Amino acid sequence: MAVPASPTLQTLLREPAAALAGTDLSLTLPLTRALLNEVLAARPAGTPIRELYVDPEANNRCRVHLAADAPVIGTVSRQLMLVPGAAVTFPDQPWLRFDIESGLKFLDKPLINLVQGQIESRLPRGVDVSSDYVRIHMPALLTHLGYQQLVPLIHQLRISSEANRLLLHLHLKAN
Amino acid sequence: MHPVLKHLIETDFSDLSGSRVEGQIALSDDIINLGLHEVLNQLRRAPTPENVAPASPPRPAAANTLPDPRLLLSKVDVEHLKYRTEAGKTVVEIKAGV
Repeated sequence: MAVPASPTLQTLLREPAAALAGTDLSLTLPLTRALLNEVLAARPAGTPIRELYVDPEANNRCRVHLAADAPVIGTVSRQLMLVPGAAVTFPDQPWLRFDIESGLKFLDKPLINLVQGQIESRLPRGVDVSSDYVRIHMPALLTHLGYQQLVPLIHQLRISSEANRLLLHLHLKAN
Repeated sequence: MHPVLKHLIETDFSDLSGSRVEGQIALSDDIINLGLHEVLNQLRRAPTPENVAPASPPRPAAANTLPDPRLLLSKVDVEHLKYRTEAGKTVVEIKAGV
């Protein structure tokens, strides 16, 4: 986590639950296809993902164009159709889940199941991949990024898809 | 400049259209007081006329200069904005969208 120069902001980030006690804020943040792909292009290097483009569609469907280095078989390119899952709520439901509706080829599922451990060991902490879903354990990922203090503030987090944009629904609450 | 911020500026923040925020932001007295002291310290460190370096000639705006915040604020539609205080905290109620 980048440390801000301001002592006030440092304190706020170090003890957000105390500094923001009483905050109750709902945010809806649209992520257009262009913005989303700018964010993905700025992802950290050193992961097996070579190419990653997201194409949000209507009816809560999201197409993902992916090229990745896979163990044993080399570079694999796929277009997956993902369906965003239920809202993340803390502490009961920490997983941000996307079900893989289509796009995997005949031998992909048994191969993914076979090398699942090797795939996960090369992904950022908190990211869990199977032949049926991609899911992110938000507390683990935020802790990995250095934002573990913010985890208790996230009352609810949900992602939905409509044509050309994903919608991020975030409810922050500090008691 | 972060590429995402650069993209937002180049597209005139149009990608933020549809953003909404509703609820209240509360700040503890401790954090408000810390901020006040920080502002005071910054004012004390402000340059005096005796130690200010001679003004350099004006330069054209660099490509990565942050835009005028008024540009973004002009796109924000504020429906509700109310300031109040409670014991030990300052509260701002807000309902706004882009």
